[in-house]
Amino acid sequence: METRLADWIKGTTQGDSANDILRACVHCGFCNATCPTYQLLGDELDGPRGRIYQIKQVLEGTPATRNTQLHLDRCLTCRACETTCPSGVDYGHLVDIGRAVVESQVRRPLNERLLHWLLREVLTRRGLFGGALRIGRALRFALPRALHAGLGEHRAPGAWPRRTHARKVLLLNGCTQPALAPSIDAATARVLDAIGVQALVDARSGCCGAIRHHLHDQRGALQNARRNIDAWWPQLDSGAVEAIVINASGCTTMVREYAWLLREDPAYAARARRVSDATRDLAQFLGPQLPLLLRCVRPASITRIALQNPCTLQHGLKLKHDVEQLLSALGAQLLPVDEPHLCCGSAGTYSLLQPKLALELRARKLAHLLHAQPQMILSANIGCLLHLAAGTAVALRHWIEWIDELIVTS
Amino acid sequence: MDSALQELRHQVLQAHSASTPLRLRGAGTKDFYGERCEGTLLDMRGYFGVVDYEPSELVITARCGTSLSELEGLLAQHRQFLAFEPPAFGGDPTIGGVIAAGLSGPRRFQAGAARDFVLGAVLLCAQGELLHFGGKVIKNVAGFDLSRLLCGSLGILGAITEVSLKVLPLPRLEQTLQFEMAASEALALFNRWAGQPLPISATAWYDGHAWLRLSGAPPALRTACERLGGELLDAEAASRFWRSLRDQTHPFFGHASTLWRLSLPSTAPQIAGSGSQLIEWGGALRWCASDQPAADMRQRAGAAGGTALHWRGGTAGGRFHSLSPVVLEIHRRLKSRFDPHGIFNPGRLIADL
Amino acid sequence: MLLPEFDIDESRWSGVAEAPAPGRQLAVAQALRALLPADCVLSRDEELHPYECDGLAVFRQQPMLVVLPRTETEVRAVLLACRRLEVPVVARGAGTGLSGGAMPHAAGVVLSLARFDRILQIDPAARIARVQPGVRNLAVSEAAAAYGLFYAPDPSSQIACTIGGNVAENSGGVHCLKYGLTLHNVLGLRGCTIDGEPIELGGCALDAPGLDLLALSIGSEGLLLVVTEVILKLLPKPELAQVVMASFDDVGKAGEAVAAIIAAGIIPSGLEMMDRKATAAVEPFVRAGYDLAAEAILLAESDGTPDEVADEVRAMERVLQANGATAIAVSASEAERLRFWSGRKNAFPAAGRISPDYYCMDGTIPRNRLGHMLKAIERMEHKYGLKCMNVFHAGDGNLHPLILFDANRSGEWERADRFGADILELCVQLGGTITGEHGVGVEKLNSMCVQFSPAERAAFFSVKRAFDPPGLLNPGKCIPTLARCAEYGRMHVRHGQLPHPDLPRF
Repeated sequence: METRLADWIKGTTQGDSANDILRACVHCGFCNATCPTYQLLGDELDGPRGRIYQIKQVLEGTPATRNTQLHLDRCLTCRACETTCPSGVDYGHLVDIGRAVVESQVRRPLNERLLHWLLREVLTRRGLFGGALRIGRALRFALPRALHAGLGEHRAPGAWPRRTHARKVLLLNGCTQPALAPSIDAATARVLDAIGVQALVDARSGCCGAIRHHLHDQRGALQNARRNIDAWWPQLDSGAVEAIVINASGCTTMVREYAWLLREDPAYAARARRVSDATRDLAQFLGPQLPLLLRCVRPASITRIALQNPCTLQHGLKLKHDVEQLLSALGAQLLPVDEPHLCCGSAGTYSLLQPKLALELRARKLAHLLHAQPQMILSANIGCLLHLAAGTAVALRHWIEWIDELIVTS
Repeated sequence: MDSALQELRHQVLQAHSASTPLRLRGAGTKDFYGERCEGTLLDMRGYFGVVDYEPSELVITARCGTSLSELEGLLAQHRQFLAFEPPAFGGDPTIGGVIAAGLSGPRRFQAGAARDFVLGAVLLCAQGELLHFGGKVIKNVAGFDLSRLLCGSLGILGAITEVSLKVLPLPRLEQTLQFEMAASEALALFNRWAGQPLPISATAWYDGHAWLRLSGAPPALRTACERLGGELLDAEAASRFWRSLRDQTHPFFGHASTLWRLSLPSTAPQIAGSGSQLIEWGGALRWCASDQPAADMRQRAGAAGGTALHWRGGTAGGRFHSLSPVVLEIHRRLKSRFDPHGIFNPGRLIADL
Repeated sequence: MLLPEFDIDESRWSGVAEAPAPGRQLAVAQALRALLPADCVLSRDEELHPYECDGLAVFRQQPMLVVLPRTETEVRAVLLACRRLEVPVVARGAGTGLSGGAMPHAAGVVLSLARFDRILQIDPAARIARVQPGVRNLAVSEAAAAYGLFYAPDPSSQIACTIGGNVAENSGGVHCLKYGLTLHNVLGLRGCTIDGEPIELGGCALDAPGLDLLALSIGSEGLLLVVTEVILKLLPKPELAQVVMASFDDVGKAGEAVAAIIAAGIIPSGLEMMDRKATAAVEPFVRAGYDLAAEAILLAESDGTPDEVADEVRAMERVLQANGATAIAVSASEAERLRFWSGRKNAFPAAGRISPDYYCMDGTIPRNRLGHMLKAIERMEHKYGLKCMNVFHAGDGNLHPLILFDANRSGEWERADRFGADILELCVQLGGTITGEHGVGVEKLNSMCVQFSPAERAAFFSVKRAFDPPGLLNPGKCIPTLARCAEYGRMHVRHGQLPHPDLPRF
């Protein structure tokens, strides 16, 4: 596409990146076909092609408006469009750049700013969030229904393995997941233990930064990234751990982004690249270990499974079939699910900020997931799990919890 | 310009300036078809001949007066044919007449209608201009699709002087299966079979018997015959049978004093009072020898999602099913723009048009 | 006067880019807001701007307003209002068109039918689907698959393009050699005239009385009516389909092989050709396994029963070999078959990976002139200093040369534009047409002057007037006026003869 960027951004890092991405777009419109919000709203402004156009307009010098902001806010950043795009347009990075520019030009109303601040500060602080969550769960009856989604049910995590192994990996010392579903990290550690890999968690690390990143706090997000890099570097650099393994695909995607986000930071660029390169989604890590895994599992009792493939996994990380292959190999009968490419509406804090669209997408996703009457729905991301769980009585678990159930302890 | 074409043009210009109606006619095999029409005869037979035929292009171009037999004979030499099986009604129609009437034979069920095979046409318009629409290539969306509009127009917009048609290779093999069954059962089966990947190229039901014609590669026909059952008809007899439906030389068409042609959704149930029936096109075309009042037939066909054409017999009222006011108005405007003096086949397609 | 009159409002036709009078936008917006919910009328600059073009982004025009109705009643109300206020209306589906057919009118309303996205009915017994115009092409086949049926036309953009857009353009696809175009697969339409009157053409029966206005409406590029519902024919899904992929060391030989297949009495369900520049562009993205050393590859698909397919594949292999194929591969699985096709289907946008912009042509020529055409295109590449990659629906002679250019470099688009016009003019000279399936839109107006005589264009305007007397539906598209052609200054060409010597001069 023809571009004429405005002087104020031309030649800057952001400007050059944006220009390259825009030039790759040929305006074919294939992306709209797989964009969740375009399916719901049927407006060019609410599809990737139209958002690219709106961003282009701002970068070419037309001042952004609240309207521009609204349509960018509605984007789930699910990146289904990237999977569909035949021209290889790097939409995710373009929308990051566009949002930052729009954010700098358009002041949000007070209530929005407050909500963003609250989510950023509470969700990313484990102690604070854990406390709030306990209160919330206790007072569930008194909360509006819309907020129930985020609460989930507490399940006992079970024991953390005590064996040590020569093979070691680092897990993320996450923010919301350990508080909401501590069973996921524990199950991960147990499955890894079963195949002879020790899971370490570095207490100095924390939230991956995705929440701040999506709530327009670029500085805070970069601080999160730098803190994690600092925390992980010694073990990674010394070769003590073979990988950073993350069991929430949203977080995996974010950590894999550190290299891009810090590409201009001389102090961190090289280390960020190493960290991103060493980061694996749990499915990606376990895939090659399947022969080891097959030696320590029993036949599954719950087999009729509907798999929800989170956008961060299939579109962000382009790992479309990894979980599927793993589960099938372990005896799961994966039921057909329509529109597997569509986002469930969770999308980080999206479900809290755009509840109407999120609930519509959830209903659509659940209808597809439940269509073949599964015994259990499995996902790969904590956000999707909680968001979907609030809409159905069918059991929802992280897929690693399903595998954990199969492990025969020796 | 060819002298025969000059002559046609001359007659048209004269009629246009004098506002005298013309009655366009080829071999006259379809004189019975359409509404009554009066006018000076414009004989299209003098302008004839195949203009262009390249078998590997799957296209033939012929002048309006070319006889169907000549055209089909030429195609057959190259193992090709007109897949819409235009009816000859026992005579030898001109290709211009075939396209102006737009009627199709038994293979319409699978291959498509006459208009689906029209690629281009040249129209001698009221002002004496030769207008080229469409072309000689299979895909062509430049401008409005007037060549297909002319197909079935019964000459009311002008005289078709040349047509280009898509042709297809002859099927490598054809076989016909015969079954005994009631009409309702045949309708259900025709529709069920049509939803399966079977090489069925025509269907018919009459008087307690159903016929299926299969066309294609020998292995495909072998599999289909095994799956479908029925009695395999002798090739010669089968060919005669389908020809008799196509040309309406089958005894059914001879017996009926008044004949209705119902175009219905193929799944439409049997129409009450349809009398003796012959069913084609997988159930979508039903010939009814019925003495029911015209209004009843039309009402029933309409209620079933289709239309009724008074093919033969009877006197009162028009032959064609009436058009909705909005569609009729567009017809009027088209006619008045293409033929402002109303010289081309006035009334033949729509009574006062 | 021998010619029929060009009875149109010339200013509306040529005024596509002329801004509306001051206050006009507000007045029309108010009128429309009274008829539609608030989220259905867009009027701010930043909302209108993204609607300025369709899939052909070199032609741009910001509309006066955009409306996004949800029901037929709303569509009728919009049309009535536009008729009353004399506002041009440009209907739009997914905006994937490649001829600028949905490019807005500066003083007009874009009527988006994107929200008409429901499949109303699939009747497996009658093999029909009743759908709204905003339903995506691929969604129909996906929904019909449960019944073993499919919708045959499959334009390359089928993942995104809508049925309404397909009807407007009479879209084809890679399988239309055997299964036909949109025209052959639409049984009926429901729509609204500019007067807001509902109109039904065709239906679930095969024949309808009167003139074939259904055929006339298909491919009418939004100039005749606004479609609100479409009845589609569904076909039984063949039991098996296999693709033969053949490599050639010469593009001309590949062209001859195409003719030889047809001459052998085989009608493949798809017969496509890509030249080396095209395979090189798509292979990194789709990893289809194309032979990158070949000057051209042919993809020929056979479908039917397993026996039938085996038979036909063998026959095609024989023909291809006899015509100089250097390598032949047959798809071994459905996944592989789809992979072979995916490269072809993604060929246009994939051009975006090797060039910032591309200009896709759509001429059709008699198959046997393919070699001639390709050599001519090569010469034009030198003449205009631009690269061109070639993708063809070889089976029906429909060419899609993709002229690669960079819109940011001054003069390149103008060269690409002239390059394209040259290709189209040659198509007409070779006895073909300027557009096989993308439509004329705003893009090929000049080339229409080459293909059609003034009298023929006057006939088109007569049709336009019969459906749309005030001339408000998509004015300025599809048919050039006398003035436009006079300005373009190129002569009407007929089959290589300049200009129509078969007509006496009067």
